[in-house]
Amino acid sequence: MMIFFRNPLALSGLIIIITILFLAIFAPLIAPYDPNYIDIDSILVAPNTNHIMGTDGLGRDVFSRMLFGAQISLLVGFVAVGIATLIGIILGSVAGFYRGWVDSLIMRLVDIMLSIPTFFLILAVIAFLTPSIWNIMIVIGLTSWMGVTRLVRAEFFSLRQREFVLAAETMGASDFKIIFSHLLPNSLTPVIVSSVLGIASAVLVESGLSFLGLGVQAPTASWGNILTDGKEYIQFAWWLSLFPGLAILFTVLGYNLLGEGLRDILDPKNKNK
Amino acid sequence: MVNNKIIFFLPIISFFLLISCSKESDQIIDYKDNYLTEEGGEIINAMIGEPSNLVAMIAGDSASSAIAANIFNTLIKYDENLNHAPELASQWIISDDQKTITFKLKENLFWADGTPLTSDDVLFTWRLVTDPNTRTPYASDYLLVKDAQTPNKQTFTVTYEQNYAPALDTWASLQILPKHVLKDEDINNTFFSRKPTGSGYYQLDQWINGQQVTLKRNKNSTQGQALIEKLTSRIIPDTSSQFLELIADNIDLMNINPIQYQRVFPSREDLKQKIGLYKELGNGYTYLGFNLKQAPFNDPKVRQAMNYAINKEEIIKGVLLGLGEAIASPYKPGTRWNNESLSPYPYDPSKALALLKEAGYERNPAGILVKDGKPFEFEILTNQNKQREMTAVLVQRRLKEIGIDVKIRVLEWASFINRFIKTGDFKAVVLGWSLSLDPDQFNIWHSSQQGPGQFNFVGYENPRVDELLELGRRELDNDKREEIYHEFSKLLLEDSPIVYLYAGYGLSAINKRVQGIKKPAPPAGIYQNSYEWFIPQSLRRNELAVQ
Repeated sequence: MMIFFRNPLALSGLIIIITILFLAIFAPLIAPYDPNYIDIDSILVAPNTNHIMGTDGLGRDVFSRMLFGAQISLLVGFVAVGIATLIGIILGSVAGFYRGWVDSLIMRLVDIMLSIPTFFLILAVIAFLTPSIWNIMIVIGLTSWMGVTRLVRAEFFSLRQREFVLAAETMGASDFKIIFSHLLPNSLTPVIVSSVLGIASAVLVESGLSFLGLGVQAPTASWGNILTDGKEYIQFAWWLSLFPGLAILFTVLGYNLLGEGLRDILDPKNKNK
Repeated sequence: MVNNKIIFFLPIISFFLLISCSKESDQIIDYKDNYLTEEGGEIINAMIGEPSNLVAMIAGDSASSAIAANIFNTLIKYDENLNHAPELASQWIISDDQKTITFKLKENLFWADGTPLTSDDVLFTWRLVTDPNTRTPYASDYLLVKDAQTPNKQTFTVTYEQNYAPALDTWASLQILPKHVLKDEDINNTFFSRKPTGSGYYQLDQWINGQQVTLKRNKNSTQGQALIEKLTSRIIPDTSSQFLELIADNIDLMNINPIQYQRVFPSREDLKQKIGLYKELGNGYTYLGFNLKQAPFNDPKVRQAMNYAINKEEIIKGVLLGLGEAIASPYKPGTRWNNESLSPYPYDPSKALALLKEAGYERNPAGILVKDGKPFEFEILTNQNKQREMTAVLVQRRLKEIGIDVKIRVLEWASFINRFIKTGDFKAVVLGWSLSLDPDQFNIWHSSQQGPGQFNFVGYENPRVDELLELGRRELDNDKREEIYHEFSKLLLEDSPIVYLYAGYGLSAINKRVQGIKKPAPPAGIYQNSYEWFIPQSLRRNELAVQ
């Protein structure tokens, strides 16, 4: 933990993320109103003491909706990246360990996936499915594993020739044991860094999808939804665009700072600094 | 270092200088002057998308029809009180058996290129719209014509198989096309759709792809000369950007939303000073429609219960900020076809619960309505339209209060229509109908109109309504028609195949440089006399600034 204090960027990222996590987890306790409570007598009220972030087009409290929206954004980030990391580790391990035609096959698949603009691929897939938070998480996960695959494979390539791996192999350890006990634990550092950065982009993709109306469905709040509601009234009800915009900005910034910081901290070449 | 800073700030400083310059040149204009009508000037409006095709019978989008309406003429039109009035035809005579209509064209009509416009062109247009090779959705009305003749250059007669009351309305919407230009062209795919020759007030001047379409006055117009010289329609795909352009004085008119009308304008003196607001009840309504072919909405009691459980006043207040009316018949309030003796279902949740109990639904201890062990739940589909989505959320809330679990799904228009509406794969939808001026609603409510792609997609069937709709189409006497459609509206309200949610006001914002707009709006709306609008010299944009 102490190591974070030597890296102010990572520390500020960590603080931002912990704050947002805290707000999201305790949203039901913090939120002053039910996020879906409609009050047509107070439509588009500017921020005041009753509604610290104002109200939206149906008189719902924006602050409460922001808190519950944080749950959605963070959940999407974690689950989508979890799926992507899992797929990436499995495919990367197989490619890096067995090499040969298996490696070629998997790497060509990676090349194909990387050549398709991910956001449009997601848009096309979502158009065929029912837009729901679970489908979005799965689709984002299934379209963003390529980076992790490449990282794991590259690590495996260099570790494969090291003495401790050769030793394990000579002693007759199974492929499974070599991969999971020897190779993987030693190649996780870049995976962790890229996963943290991946969460940031998953949060952005979810907001983008919700903004286009293909994400979380009404009346459930998500930052992208609130932002798209605000677009209609941007000259008049600035609070509907500003707060979700800032929330997305800080979350993505937080994960990026944390990811960059972790890269510096976990990089063995930096140890002597 | 110092130099660097100055260089860095220079663009910012000059930007502020520019702003302050433009501010100074703004002067207070008193728009209350009584301006004399003047010719010339340019009016700029905005459209969401690029027109697809300036032949209205082929195009289906509103941008195309709005522009085509300035270029082409119809035989007859509606005047400001919604009565039929001469346009290309100076008079029309209906035969005693009510099956033949004879149109007499005005003398000396010309196309924009100077060629005379005669009854041959009218016959040619009728043949075109009824030709099976023409890809038009409007053919069915004109296919009812058994025989069309041109006894001379000035006369066009049509004879119907059976008398057909909406006939005049159909001739008020068919734009007449020039035979001499189109006779050897394939109408589905012709240069003419982007380079039309018309007979109306305006002709195409310039079409810049993705940017704007400019019309200029047609010196050979068949209807006399309009006052404004140029009509420019800019393509601005986003209504929020359109509004910014309106405020910045780069466009002169647009349709605005209730928030802009009720909240933005009252709070901005500068806007009120230079932009006029107009509201008029539109000829259409938004509704919650049910799939009548499936449980639970095949039971009229359940549908009536929905009608009692939904608070329409709340929707009008919340979604339209009060700028709408609750309705009880599918006709515009204030017109003769609207049955004034009907009133909307009041908001009465206890009555809704009583009706649902009769239909077999009981509330379980958790407060959820259950029938045969299954909870009452359904999904409302709607398209990507903020007002409809908000409406669905308000409906969802009220239905949840009586124990019905409603989900909302917002869909992109094409997949909504093709995947759900045409296949009948839905329980409930929030949608809107815009109506024609003729009261005939055969296409929407007759039981024969339920095929894929036809308009009775909710699957409404009522033998008496079928009978009334058939009668209404054959009856040319307006008093008798009124009785028929009043009874039809009453049956429709009782059966409740849809819940009428609201009829909204059309809201327009028009820069005050545009003069001659009628206020209050006549029944046909403010745009009816747009050829009489004018822009006084002193209020015109600097011509250079526009470029």
